[in-house]
Amino acid sequence: MSDPELKAKVEEIIRENPVLLFMKGTPDMPRCGFSMRVVGMLEQLGAEYGAVDVLPALDPLREATGEISDWRTFPQLYVKGELVGGCDIVEEMFESGELATMLGVEQPDAAAAPEPDRLVPGGSQQSPPMQLG
Amino acid sequence: MADLAEIQSLIARALPGADVEILDEGGGDHLRAVVTAPQFEGLSRVDQHRLVKGPVQHLMDDGTIHALSVTASIPGG
Repeated sequence: MSDPELKAKVEEIIRENPVLLFMKGTPDMPRCGFSMRVVGMLEQLGAEYGAVDVLPALDPLREATGEISDWRTFPQLYVKGELVGGCDIVEEMFESGELATMLGVEQPDAAAAPEPDRLVPGGSQQSPPMQLG
Repeated sequence: MADLAEIQSLIARALPGADVEILDEGGGDHLRAVVTAPQFEGLSRVDQHRLVKGPVQHLMDDGTIHALSVTASIPGG
């Protein structure tokens, strides 16, 4: 059973951010390779997105997203309030061009999942919309 | 350290007729499940992944599995 207040806050933040990433760490300093890969893909697409660092409240957020979306692992990408998936799904959709279409942006010429050393954080992401913990 | 055979059988039991393979992608707790299952037909990607992760959720919650990537496909598709 999740904390109802936190759950309401998570629902609100999903509703209010057209593109929202729950991740471990921040876009500037991802603390997990999978989160870093999703950040890299969003950056490569030039997408605007909100990011929430789940680490300060990992277990409560697991409970909350488990109840909201039946999904308990991070990263989690939401577009227009709908769960798109974790890193593996986002990667498939990035490579096929579906993600670009979904985000209404142009597919880069050589869309391959970015290697960590190609990751350039900063730039288009918005500041974290929610502070936790 | 996750028991790959146990994980394989948990997923395979939940998806009768499916072909399930578990790969260790690093350190014994970053795993990939390669699953071909008739049950995936007509489902969204997230729902396909839910079917695979559901039977091993307890192992993800307790940290036995740190990450489980899923490659889902439909037989013949």
